[in-house]
Amino acid sequence: MMQKNVFLLLFLSSLTFSGLTLAGDLVWHGFGAQGVIQANDSNYINDDGDVSYRLTEVGLNTSYRINQKLRVSAQGIYINGGNRFDEGVRIDYLFLDYQVLNSPRWNINAHFGRYKNYHWLYSATRDVPHTMPSIVLPQSSYFDAFRNASLGSDGISLTAQHLNSLGEWDIRWSYGNTQIKQEQTENLMSTLATGELNHDFDTQFSVSFSPLGTGLSLGGSLLKTDFSYDAGDNDIFTDGKVALERFMLSLSYSAEYWDINAEAMREKTDFQGFFFDQRDADAIAEGLYVQGRLFVSPDVTLLATIDTFDANNRDRNGSAYQQASGGAVPAYFAFRDQLTLGASWDFANNWRIRGEFHKVKGRARLAPVFIPDTVANDSKYWDIWALQIIYWF
Amino acid sequence: MLNIRRIGFRLLLALVMLFGVHHTYADQAKVRVIVNDNVNINALSESRVRWIFSMRQTTWEDGSAIKVYVLHEQDPIHQHFCKNVLGMFPYQLERMWNKLAYSGLGEKPILVDDSQDMIDMVSQEPGAIGYVISGSLPPGMRELKISKEG
Repeated sequence: MMQKNVFLLLFLSSLTFSGLTLAGDLVWHGFGAQGVIQANDSNYINDDGDVSYRLTEVGLNTSYRINQKLRVSAQGIYINGGNRFDEGVRIDYLFLDYQVLNSPRWNINAHFGRYKNYHWLYSATRDVPHTMPSIVLPQSSYFDAFRNASLGSDGISLTAQHLNSLGEWDIRWSYGNTQIKQEQTENLMSTLATGELNHDFDTQFSVSFSPLGTGLSLGGSLLKTDFSYDAGDNDIFTDGKVALERFMLSLSYSAEYWDINAEAMREKTDFQGFFFDQRDADAIAEGLYVQGRLFVSPDVTLLATIDTFDANNRDRNGSAYQQASGGAVPAYFAFRDQLTLGASWDFANNWRIRGEFHKVKGRARLAPVFIPDTVANDSKYWDIWALQIIYWF
Repeated sequence: MLNIRRIGFRLLLALVMLFGVHHTYADQAKVRVIVNDNVNINALSESRVRWIFSMRQTTWEDGSAIKVYVLHEQDPIHQHFCKNVLGMFPYQLERMWNKLAYSGLGEKPILVDDSQDMIDMVSQEPGAIGYVISGSLPPGMRELKISKEG
């Protein structure tokens, strides 16, 4: 799929280059961040819970305007987050941006290629540290093990912005899929999963509305995505399919010296096959985070976030989950409540240092999902702390 | 779990109550929106100016490119312009521009060092738009009339 898209890009670019006088301009941006992080009594960062420097994010992007209608945009990143996601270099986005309409009331664009997920509050620049409110994002909506599949996809994305007497509207639709590497399959499912997990398709639709002169923005998004699994040799899983639907609501309010951002999610998963024991893993998960920031000075920001997540809204305390596992998996793997406190300081132009502390109750939203690591995660309460320095241009 | 939900609910409630106190600044010092002489309009509403400075409108009505020039986020003139003309805070604008520049969605405006640079660029670059706070305008540019209504 990606190769096809790259060829499509090259083909369209060649048509454009041959037909038009170039008045193009090339723009570069980049960022680098290094941190130190610890999640004791947990496999979240590493298997032993020790202090880790595996908190590195580096990226470089470019945008080349071919003419007023066409632009090529690309970003490459290197990321290392320990067990949170697979380490390495990846093309974050690479697409041809065609401006369908640009007027005093409408701005409509189509992206072909590897586009970004523009549907959630922080999904578009999730891997760009200085644009994120915290080092570790609220896991109810931004589950790290699911990061690659939710960053963006290979396919098509349409974005429309509209200004009318009520306010500003953003309407977006996308359709595509992603490639899942074996490392991610193991991270998400289990190291004993020897088969191939495929992200068959991913379609999303979202609308957000900012009433004029209020500082408020309200949004809603729908996600529908299917995964299929082809079991390997000596696999502990069998062939199967998972259909996932997510509905989200968001709220942002910006005042001069503080702001609030919140997202609520409801996620329905339907399994067919997958498990030899025919277990009923279908569930509706629910989550909500509310994040407040205080801008103490132009350079210093304080942050507080509460995040709550239940993996199954019919079994919020996890007792049925524990019972179904024959007592092998504690009930606290079915929920997660998290309090985050943080501070950041922009000590020079384009430089930021920040730190945060998380108090966590429960072990949901930890990878691997299907066969949790009950040895490393042997208590209901645990902590995460992290420090990070960021540079961007 | 329940406690956290209750705290979340109270926070939301407090937020709803605070909507009433959000307001834009009404300082009297005049910020002037300036364009290059080749730009074929004389007036814009505040919401249209915001639409342009948030980089949503990238071409003028005749199809030519809009070139947006801005001062640094912490420059008092920029802060004044954001609050009084755009009706938003500088950090909101910065956040929008970052989203554009680091997700491929669009481009950031062009940053200039000071007001003199702003005047030089807007007077020289066809399609340019920017802002100044006072003083006489040199040839090559003119001031747009800004209306309050949406």
